[in-house]
Amino acid sequence: MASPGRAPWRLPLLALLLLLPLGRAADAGWGGEGSSPRLQSIFLGRCAEYITLLSPQPGDKNCTAIWEAFRVVLDKDPCSVLPSDYDLFINLSRHPIPRDKSLFWENNHLLVAGYSENTRRFMPLCDVLYGRVGDFLSWCRQKNASGLDYQSCPTSEDCENNAVDSYWKRASMQYSRDSSGVIYVMLNGSEPKGAYPIKGFFADFEIPYLQKDKVTQIEIWVMHEIGGPNVPVKLLMCVDHSTHPDCAFASSAMAAAERGAPPRSTAHSSTLLAALLVALASGSQM
Amino acid sequence: MARCEFSQLSRDEPCCPLSRRGRLCLGLALLVLILSAAVLLVALTRSPTPTPEALAWNGTGSTRNLFAIVLGRCYTYTQLLRPGLGSEACPKILDAFKSAFISKNPCDIMKEDYQPLVDLVNQTVPCNKSLFWSKSKELAHQYSWVQGGMFTLEDTLLGYLADDLTWCGDPSSVEPNYQSCPRWNECLNHTGSVFWKVISQKFAESACGVVQVMLNGSLSKPFHKSSTFGSVELFSLDPRKVHTLQAWVMHDIRGNYSDSCSGPSIRELESIVNKRNITFTCQNNYRPARLVQCVKNIEHSSCASKI
Repeated sequence: MASPGRAPWRLPLLALLLLLPLGRAADAGWGGEGSSPRLQSIFLGRCAEYITLLSPQPGDKNCTAIWEAFRVVLDKDPCSVLPSDYDLFINLSRHPIPRDKSLFWENNHLLVAGYSENTRRFMPLCDVLYGRVGDFLSWCRQKNASGLDYQSCPTSEDCENNAVDSYWKRASMQYSRDSSGVIYVMLNGSEPKGAYPIKGFFADFEIPYLQKDKVTQIEIWVMHEIGGPNVPVKLLMCVDHSTHPDCAFASSAMAAAERGAPPRSTAHSSTLLAALLVALASGSQM
Repeated sequence: MARCEFSQLSRDEPCCPLSRRGRLCLGLALLVLILSAAVLLVALTRSPTPTPEALAWNGTGSTRNLFAIVLGRCYTYTQLLRPGLGSEACPKILDAFKSAFISKNPCDIMKEDYQPLVDLVNQTVPCNKSLFWSKSKELAHQYSWVQGGMFTLEDTLLGYLADDLTWCGDPSSVEPNYQSCPRWNECLNHTGSVFWKVISQKFAESACGVVQVMLNGSLSKPFHKSSTFGSVELFSLDPRKVHTLQAWVMHDIRGNYSDSCSGPSIRELESIVNKRNITFTCQNNYRPARLVQCVKNIEHSSCASKI
């Protein structure tokens, strides 16, 4: 998904030098991808599709109203959008999450999307209505004018209160609050900075909002590029690499997985896992 | 209307001593009232002109929010999933889709009705990447999703737009018929079946190199000449472009294993393919697809021993 590029301008060198200071001010864009074209059509289409075809409950949701609640952030300064600005949008689009189906993740979006099988096996945030409508999309208002900025949008490095980050923060908070039963967490063990990002969505906006009286167990899977203990997900990765030696693991390892042995982890991620477990134990709210 | 004036009454005088003009006025008013009542009565009791009702069928009606879903899918596909096709065409694609069936009898749909839609979308699948399927839709889709590079029909734009949707029109309306649509067996050429035939044919015609077909080995006849694959796609493959057809016969993990590749059904497929000058190969339980099955059935002994 490349952001729309700008055609190179050919100007006489002198004119270019004269214009350079002005040009730079005008061209100073944000660090992130611009607003997705046809945002409203994609949003409404996904909403309609979700409530008509995918929803576990009959659709009593009003996609137009949900869009209207969402679009208020499109009129706000691109660095002044708070998670609470999405409160009405969340209220109109939230729905229950089936018990034992919550799947949290960090740094492995595509694998999670493949494994969750469109809400049948699991229901990660991108398979919940308020997560589905914004998935893979980008949006922000122009800096000094109304209307969407299609060139670029601020990232967290540009400013904290940007529209997209605040959206995911608010959605993550709600998702955690509405989760119950066994919670699954899929981490990417091959991420060079570590499987458990201490500063990440999971740590900051999901763990703290898990409801202690609704959550019975938390199961953590640390996935590696091909090796790694979680067998069902590993099998998915083996589809692409069926001749890899790791895809022919011993039947004893299989049996261990079946008996529910705790997942092994590399030395590198085990200290971080300890940090995660401590955070989980102390962080989840009443 | 003449003003009817009433003079003041005294108790002993007869009621309403109207002047002659007043009586005339009152009479006229009454007459108009009676006439209006009569007209109203006639209008109400007359049988209403029959408003045309939509035809009734045995299948489920058009999917709710059909056009919003189709338009949203078009933008999602052309902007996010496979950029390169150009999303500006999406409103035109939606219009062409509508015009194929709106206000038409759903049992009178012809291939030509979908021609404007097909002409708008020029999409070729890369060689060696076409994955056909017959009676194995779910597994084929899971496999192509995980594998990423392969295309089932529903991974092309037109297939993606319509997958799992129902639509049909009615001669008496400019709206889709949301009440009911013909079932597969109610009429031969109905809105849905014609669409899938048209795009299946195009999908097969544009295939090249090695093509794959996923079949269901747990059925008594994994290959059926009357299936869409057997009746439309197989015969639309172009032998000048397609040199090999690989069949993957997948068995239900919990079912019995049988060597379907050497069974009569697959041999029939093989002879058809060979007659068309295309090489045929067959594998029982193609391993990468088997792994996809194992994801859902991890405890099954077949999965433990296979890997």
